[in-house]
Amino acid sequence: MSRTYDILGKVGNEQAFRQEMRDWLAEKAPKNWRQIWQNVRDSALKAEVVKWLTERRAVGLGTPHWPKEWGGPGLPFAYQIMVYEEFSRADAPELEMFGISLFHTPATLFEHGTQAQKDKYLTGITEGTDIWCQGFSEPGAGSDLASLRTSAVLQGDHYVINGQKIWSSGAYHADYCLLLARTDANVARKHDGISYFIMDMKTPGIEVRPINQITGEAHFAEIFMDDVKIPVANLIGAEGNGWNIAQSTLSTERGLLIFGEVERLARSFQLDGQDARDNWMRDVQFRREYAALYGELQSVRLMIKKLLIELEANPDKASPTLPTYIKVTWGPFLQRYTEFLLRAEGLQTQKWQPAIPGTSHSSRLRINDFLNSYGWTIAGGSNEIMRNIISERILGLPKG
Amino acid sequence: MSEQIDIGVLSESFNEFLSAEWPREKAVAYPRSNAPYAADLWSEISALGWPALSVSEAMGGLGMGTQATAALHEALGYAAAPLPLLGTMLAVALVEAAGSDVQKEVLLSGLADGSTRACVSQPPDTPLNVDGQTLNGTVANVLDAPSASILLLRADRAGHVVWLAIPADAQGVSIERALLADTTRSIGSVTLKNVSLDSVHILVPKNPIALENELLRLAAIALAADALGGGNAVLVATIEYLKVREQFGRVIGSFQALKHRVADHKAALEAARGLVEFAAGMEGGTPHALLAALTAKQHVTRIAAEVARDCIQLHGGVGFTSEYVPHIYLKRAKLNEALFGTRSVLLDRIADMLEAA
Repeated sequence: MSRTYDILGKVGNEQAFRQEMRDWLAEKAPKNWRQIWQNVRDSALKAEVVKWLTERRAVGLGTPHWPKEWGGPGLPFAYQIMVYEEFSRADAPELEMFGISLFHTPATLFEHGTQAQKDKYLTGITEGTDIWCQGFSEPGAGSDLASLRTSAVLQGDHYVINGQKIWSSGAYHADYCLLLARTDANVARKHDGISYFIMDMKTPGIEVRPINQITGEAHFAEIFMDDVKIPVANLIGAEGNGWNIAQSTLSTERGLLIFGEVERLARSFQLDGQDARDNWMRDVQFRREYAALYGELQSVRLMIKKLLIELEANPDKASPTLPTYIKVTWGPFLQRYTEFLLRAEGLQTQKWQPAIPGTSHSSRLRINDFLNSYGWTIAGGSNEIMRNIISERILGLPKG
Repeated sequence: MSEQIDIGVLSESFNEFLSAEWPREKAVAYPRSNAPYAADLWSEISALGWPALSVSEAMGGLGMGTQATAALHEALGYAAAPLPLLGTMLAVALVEAAGSDVQKEVLLSGLADGSTRACVSQPPDTPLNVDGQTLNGTVANVLDAPSASILLLRADRAGHVVWLAIPADAQGVSIERALLADTTRSIGSVTLKNVSLDSVHILVPKNPIALENELLRLAAIALAADALGGGNAVLVATIEYLKVREQFGRVIGSFQALKHRVADHKAALEAARGLVEFAAGMEGGTPHALLAALTAKQHVTRIAAEVARDCIQLHGGVGFTSEYVPHIYLKRAKLNEALFGTRSVLLDRIADMLEAA
């Protein structure tokens, strides 16, 4: 008994908005998607994800956190939060390979892109199925990102790119890449001389090689660039300003993106305890450990809520330090919790299964979730770098 | 009135006063005094109305809730102030909930103006037995008993829980103080020998279990807040030291092995703050509010004790001397962990509540 849903029309009435979303999710969110998605990869998986993205677009929630101007619904921030809460609550899948397209690309282009760049590329995301990837890290520039050496040399109306990128999620299927490259090697400070480009992945001279991960998946890839030509029009911001623009790109990981993940984990945390009622929840030691982990989880959720409230009140006045504390707390918590489940549930957790795309860090396949937890302690600035930032920039301890 | 007072401003005023009147030098020097509380400081904070904070407006207090008391206890923890405000605050809640009009009249004015200091027995005490005109028995390990002028003790009267409000100087009452490692607070065992009992001494709660849960909730929030304050204070002192102490020709704060530990402590305390604020922001009387308070208590007291433990190590040799401040906070932190339920006891209750949810 399909009906039409007017979720966006309910803005202003929280109760009605949530109810409309719940009704819509009950009917339209993919059914049995965990089983289906677990068994497909590559273009077949993309087709599944696009089906779900299309449903979301039909009710205006393809890009829930985007402004109207660029094809988003222009929701007040409180309603953006509700959207992600309801997605997590309904266990609706995440949009897997569209992560960079939906978060990092707009975070970069909204602030720094030219009108022409926004028109061309944002439409490709809101109306099409463009997949974006990020070309930041290099074999010699991981935590020390500013040491990157991929070169971009201006020749007439284009730049010529040579070098190698690594840890690029989804690059194998990507249409475009957010690329950092060095336009000036003779700078006093290595952070200067870096420029930010949009690279069309179909350009000649690009080779992409998937990297097999400890989870058995190959989300990451290496990108090799051999005399790749990028038109000058694809430079984002001013030449040499790439480092600052990259901060906008990365800041997106610390707001709604992490919120959705943590709410999803909170939901599976509750299910894990319920499912263990006649199992490890009857063991006094595991029970206590679960109760202690509950406190840690709450502390992360409350920090994120606080950040979201601050962002809603005034994005320019939100705490600049809170995202760092969230990152440095969430990753280790996730690792401890997923490791706890291995100990609590024993041998059966060791049986290998393919990962379930779209579940983020809460697939509830124990060994996969545990192995995957390094995604939050290593990626996006390893926690060791975060500790340097806290001790040096926030607490004012001298550099070593 | 309560809505007009901003918690942030209030918190600042607590901290400002204590940093002026109870600076680190006083905290370090205090253990030698061996007094159960700092009497002069008590007079000053009484004049400022701190004990009246949670007394209802109808009874002449400020009528403020747990956000305000949490701010107060965080400031007390930050200063490691020897002020027996936890016992007094719990007594206020107890009398407000279970006292008759007359009892409220008699007890609350003294508690509000600081002329009376109170202690409240904490579970798992064995309740006293009331079956006549005189009272006999011992209640062990009551926080703030040595400084109290009024003792609030749990008792059993014909199978029903009642609370007794006994003046500390009543005939037959003796309080034996046990010295604590944490010299900023005191604990004592109360012995009653043929203490004559009058109906004015007996408080009859309508719902004794709800009252006990509420007292536990208030104590848990206060101790979590105290721990948060202490954890931050000891970390601040340690960072100051790391910035000036030199070895191998450079300040030791430049060593990454030390910096990363400090960074972890800072992040852990920031995460802990959310639990205290969340618990303090809830209305009492619901299972959710109790869950939040016990979660904050078990987690934050643990984190703060770990931070304080490592801060002695980060100081090196001087951290082991009584002249430096970390040991004051370590001892206070360890007592916070033990009071009103150890972590294991609280985790068992939290697990019960999570299962019931």
